[in-house]
Formats: sequence, structure tokens, C-alpha cells
Amino acid sequence: MIWLTWRQFRAQAVTAAAALAVFAVLLAVTGPHLASLYAASGITGCHGGSCGQLASNFLSQVGTGLYPAVYLLGIAGIVLAPAVIGIFWGAPLIAREFEAGTFRLAWTQSITRTRWLAVKLALTGLAAMAITEALSLIQAWWAAPIGQAARLATDSNFPLGMSPFSLLAFDAHGITPLGYAAFAFTLGVTAGVLIRRTVPAMAITLAIFAAVQVAMPLSIRPHLFPPDHTTAALSSFSSLPTQIRPNGGFAFGVDYLPSQPGAWILSGGAVNAAGQPVSTSPAACRSEAITGSPAWTPCLTSHGIRIAVSYQPTSRYWALQLTETAIYVALALVLASYCFWRLSRRPS
Amino acid sequence: MVIEFHLDGRSGVAPYLQLIHQVRQALRLGLLREGDQLPKVKDVVAGLAINPNTVLKAYRELEYEGLVAARPGIGTFVTGTLGGSSLAAHGPLRRDLQRWLAKARRAGLDDESIEALFINTFRSAAEEDIA
Amino acid sequence: MTAVLETRGLGKRYRRLWALSDCTLSIPAGHVVGLVGPNGAGKTTLLNLAAGLLLPTTGTAEVLGGPPPANPAQLARLGFLAQDAPVYAGLSVADHLRLGADLNPRWDEELARHRIERLDLDLGQKAGKLSGGQRAQLALTLAIAKRPELLLLDEPVASLDPLARREFLQDLMEAVAEQDLSVVLSSHLIADLERVCDYLIVLVGSRVRVAGPVEELLATHHLLSGPRRDPATLPAGQQVISASHTDVQTTLLVRTSDPVLDPAWTVSEVGLEDLVLAYMSQAAGPGRRNHHLGVQK
Repeated sequence: MIWLTWRQFRAQAVTAAAALAVFAVLLAVTGPHLASLYAASGITGCHGGSCGQLASNFLSQVGTGLYPAVYLLGIAGIVLAPAVIGIFWGAPLIAREFEAGTFRLAWTQSITRTRWLAVKLALTGLAAMAITEALSLIQAWWAAPIGQAARLATDSNFPLGMSPFSLLAFDAHGITPLGYAAFAFTLGVTAGVLIRRTVPAMAITLAIFAAVQVAMPLSIRPHLFPPDHTTAALSSFSSLPTQIRPNGGFAFGVDYLPSQPGAWILSGGAVNAAGQPVSTSPAACRSEAITGSPAWTPCLTSHGIRIAVSYQPTSRYWALQLTETAIYVALALVLASYCFWRLSRRPS
Repeated sequence: MVIEFHLDGRSGVAPYLQLIHQVRQALRLGLLREGDQLPKVKDVVAGLAINPNTVLKAYRELEYEGLVAARPGIGTFVTGTLGGSSLAAHGPLRRDLQRWLAKARRAGLDDESIEALFINTFRSAAEEDIA
Repeated sequence: MTAVLETRGLGKRYRRLWALSDCTLSIPAGHVVGLVGPNGAGKTTLLNLAAGLLLPTTGTAEVLGGPPPANPAQLARLGFLAQDAPVYAGLSVADHLRLGADLNPRWDEELARHRIERLDLDLGQKAGKLSGGQRAQLALTLAIAKRPELLLLDEPVASLDPLARREFLQDLMEAVAEQDLSVVLSSHLIADLERVCDYLIVLVGSRVRVAGPVEELLATHHLLSGPRRDPATLPAGQQVISASHTDVQTTLLVRTSDPVLDPAWTVSEVGLEDLVLAYMSQAAGPGRRNHHLGVQK
């Protein structure tokens, strides 16, 4: 059965290997130069405050030309890989056999349906996880300099300076790609088992997987662990996107925490000395001359207004990675079990 | 030498009877002699696309008549004869028949007429024998 | 002799429709069984139930002494050839042989290779590119080389041209003779099966109409023709299968184990095709194409 699974999977495996190879070549060609730029930047061996500036300089240096494109291409590939796997490896796995009637050939050989499905699921599923993780690892290896710099950089307005928690970065690095691949794959297989037609199964898989991938970072991930809370002085932020509203209203967009570089900001805003949210300027700071001018934030500060932030520190990174991956793997196992039950109990 | 069977699907005669008939015919004509092996069952069915039980039934019937004997694992072999001594007369008789046929053709008879004439004469002769 | 296939009240329903109902059969080993019936009669359903590809709605089926195969040992004893001979289009002929060897413990590689050679199939040819007859032969090779005790074939020759059909049946019979195989093959044409079957099952409208050894069926079914008569007046032992009437004459196909002694009848033998047709028309019901006795005499 192992041979048959491989033989049926061969074309897809070759395509995936080729894609991986092309990508690897691209990285191999651009990687060494990136590494040498990093070595020359002086970030390794820097101390304290100077690190932030050195890091920002390095990031602006590599922020143009080929590197951002390769970086984003890699991220995109890793994020899309599970979906592609779910659609092209998962959905047809069983659906194709029903469509072509070959299940009548397979199930009358001297092998049980359970073993048949188990080998197909295990081998193809493991391949799915392996290739997605491989993609992720080689991209992470290539982007290591950028990642390290991003963790140190004080300047957050930077296309490559993504926190490891940022949407695409969290999905593309660590071990979450394994979970996504496992889930997308088994989702595809289940759709195929239920619908028994390849193309509709592909469509359903894409729809559901996309929905889950949007829902997870927006609604679930933020609640996986209780966040830390802290306040910081307005002056500690080198840049703070501000929205000025009529009648003294204002709102701050807090997307980083100076004392916790790389932390995942869940929410942040202005609070008064008592810790209550503030959305209106104190009367004294409301005049047109002050609002929006450099004197405005000191004015707010003098009235006890600070920024309160709830966040996940970088130390939580692996805890979050493991938890999220565990959720996806658990989902994958549930779906796989369902497939076994469905195929062995109701063969019609 | 191994004989080859053929089946006439339209004759209304059961297949196994046709096989028996063909073996007997072959024995009479000396095409099959004592010690010769009948075609293997699998070869017969592979040629004719008929049920093996049909062939087995024919062979069993022939064995019952004492004409053949089955040797398990080896095959079915001819043990008896039909016609026996008359076989020697076949040669000259065949030549006489060929001459007669040539004459009939020269006289202008077609196949159907020849066959009708022969069968008619054969039958009346048989009746005379009985009577 | 043990039964290779035994069913009791076997039935399969899809939503509202019964594809097979109340099927009770006991098929002995060592036969080539013809399963005949019009399309939609339930032949495919019965074969799929026997092969374990479907679960029954009612009743039971016993195959080779056990339930329809579910474990590898039982699966090895049963060969199945589904309708239209499904094969993996992207795999070559050699790949299919490898499949058979890989998944069947009793696989006879030599037999498989020998057959493929004799069939003149190109080992490297993708199965999707084979002709219908070649695909059927490949599928038959896979089923035979597995060395089963029972072979189930669902309309194996339905879409084959006459030459391919003949060759398929020749090869099948050779395998039966060599391996002492029991076979059940279905068709909607009795002509396909006449030469090879020695046991017959007629399935019409999801029900078994008649089943038994061909010899016995031919011996117990007779065509009676004589002066116009009501079939109901026949003695109890004579079961009327089909009847047709003209103004003065009645022709009946009856089933009986006793000899027909009534001198009014001319008794003649029935061919297999007429026998099957009679049961099909019986199942179709009285409204169909029969000449009625009419309102009065």
C-alpha cells in the first residue's frame, strides 16, 4: 500500500519538490549577500541603545530592491502552501477514487479499508507537513538577519520590521505551518469523503480553510493566553499615529511598546492617571494652537495621560505557537477519525 | 495428435453431446488412436468459451462408455476404439467415395443434390438391412 | 458442497426505492453462475453487497462461509470486477500488476505476466489509454492472478465488441478450469452467458424470479401449445410463467417437475433465452403485450 500511495502521489510530489527547489535556489542565490550585509551592520556585538539604531539602519538598507520581494514571496508561499495542499492533495485523495469508481478496485484487493485510508492519510499528510515546514525553515534561515534586526529596531514603520507575532509572520514561522498543513490536508480529505466529487470538494476546502485562517488570528489567537498589561509615558513612543476628532476628541494607534520590542500589541490607548480610557483632550490642551503640535503630548502628559497597553511579550511566542499548532493538529485528528468512521461504517 | 473441437450453437444439440459425438467420430476415422490424449479441459474451454463442466460431463460420459480413461493430474486418454478392424478398409473406401463424388459432379449435381441422394440411399439401405 | 454465496431476505433500499428486495439464494460452489436481468433490476446491487462494498438494509449475505469480506484473509478469497472495469488511468499496466502483487498475499505473478504477454498488452502503456476490451482484460487479470475462490463480475462484457467479448469469456473459462474457480457474472443479455453458465439466476424488478442449475431449469420448463384455454385450468403442479393467446390457440410456458400428460398439449423444449424472457414478461405484469382471454369466449 505504501508503494501504491507513493505511485498515486508521485506527480504531486514531483511538482512540490520542483517548486521547493526553485525557491531554495532563489534563496541560496540571495542569502549569502544578505548575511554579509548583516555582518557588516555591526548589530552582532552591539550594546544597549545603539542596537536599535543599527538595526533600523540595516533594515532600511535591505528594505529596497530584491530583498523585500523575496521575503514576501517566501512568506506568501508558506502561508498559501497549506491551502494549496488542502485543495490539490487533500480533496482529490478519496474523492477521485469515488469519481472514477476505482474504490471498487482498491477495496476488493486483500486490504482493509481502514489500512488503505490510514496509509494514504499518513504518508500524504506527513509529506504535506514536511514540505510546508521545510518551506518555512529555509525561509526563516534566509530571513534570520532580518528577524533579528526587527526584534531590536526602534522604528516600527518598516515593511520588513515585522514582529514575530504579526499576522503573516506568526503564520509563516515557527511550527504553526505544520498545524495548518495537517488541518488543511485533512479538511480536504474529509470534504472529498463527504462530497465524493473532486471539484466541489476543492471549493469547499478552500472556503472553509480560508474562513478558519481569518478567524484564528482575529478572534481566537488573542484569547489563547491572558495578556500582560502595562502603561507607558507618551514621550517614550517615538511615533504614535494619532487621530484628531472634532471637539477635542482623539485616538492613538498603538502598534508597538518601546519597553518590549517585538511584543504583540493586542490593544492600546490613552488612559488618565486613574487608569480610565480617555478619548477627549483635557480642556487645557484643546486649543487649536496646541492640538497636534509638538507641545500637545507634553500637555497631555502633564494631565496624567499615559498609554495603556495590553500585549503578549515575546517570551510568550513559543507558548502561543505550540498552543495554536496543537489546536490545528487536534482538529486534523478529529477530521481524520471522522473519515475512518465514515468509510468503514457506511460504504455505500 | 490432438483433435480440435467445434460447436454448432444452432444445431439444437446440447454442447456436451456434440463433444461426445466429435470424439466418437474421430475414433471411427482413426484420427484418435488408443493412447492418444484428449485435449485438456482448460484448452477446450479456452478455445470454445464454454463451461468446463460441459467438457467434464462429455469426458465422463465417454469414460462410462469405456472409450477413454481419466488419469488424475495428467489428462484423459483414449482406451477404446470404435470401428476397429474396419479402419483398414477406410483407405480404399475413401478413394471409391472420391471417385463417386467426381462422377456426381460431372453429371451436374450440386452439393445439396449430392447430399440428398446420399442420405436417401443410405436410409433406404439401412431399412433394407433391418427388414 | 458448500455454498459460495448464500443470502436470506437480502434487501437494499436507497431512500424510497428498493434496489433489491427479499433476495434468498443458495449458490453452490463449482459453477459459473449467470445473473440475468434488465438494467436496473438489482444485479449490480447484489454483487456489490456480496463483495462487501455495500451494507444491506435488510437480510443477510454469506460469502464463502462468512460475512461479506472485511478482513484481508477473506478479501483474498474473493475477486471482484466492477462495471466498466475501473482502473487507475494514470498508472501503467505494469503498475497495476505491482498493485496486485503489493496488496494480495496469494498473488500469482507468473500467471499475471503470462496473461499480459498473451494479451499482447504493453506493460508501459497507461491504463487510461487502453481500449475497453483491453481494460476489461487487465481488470480480469488482476482479479484472476489474485487466486480467489469466488469471482464476481458485474456486466463484464456489456460494452465490448463481439471479438473482445469472445476473448474475455475464453480467458475467463480457462481460469475457471485451471483454478477451480466459482464465478458469478451478470449481464442484461442472456446470449452473452448461454455458453458459459451452468447455473442461472433471473433478477427482474429487484426480485429473484427463478434460480437453479441450467440443466434442471431446461428440464423443468416446457412450452405447451394447444387449443385456446384458460391457464387457470391447469393442474396445480404446473406453474404458468407466461401465456399468450390467439383466438383459437394458447401457448404457455410452464414450470413443472412432473411430466405433462394432457394429450391436448404439444410439448416442446424451451431455450434459455425464451425462458429468461418469459420470466421478464411475467415480472412486467399482465398489462404488457399479452393477448388477453378477452371478455367472453
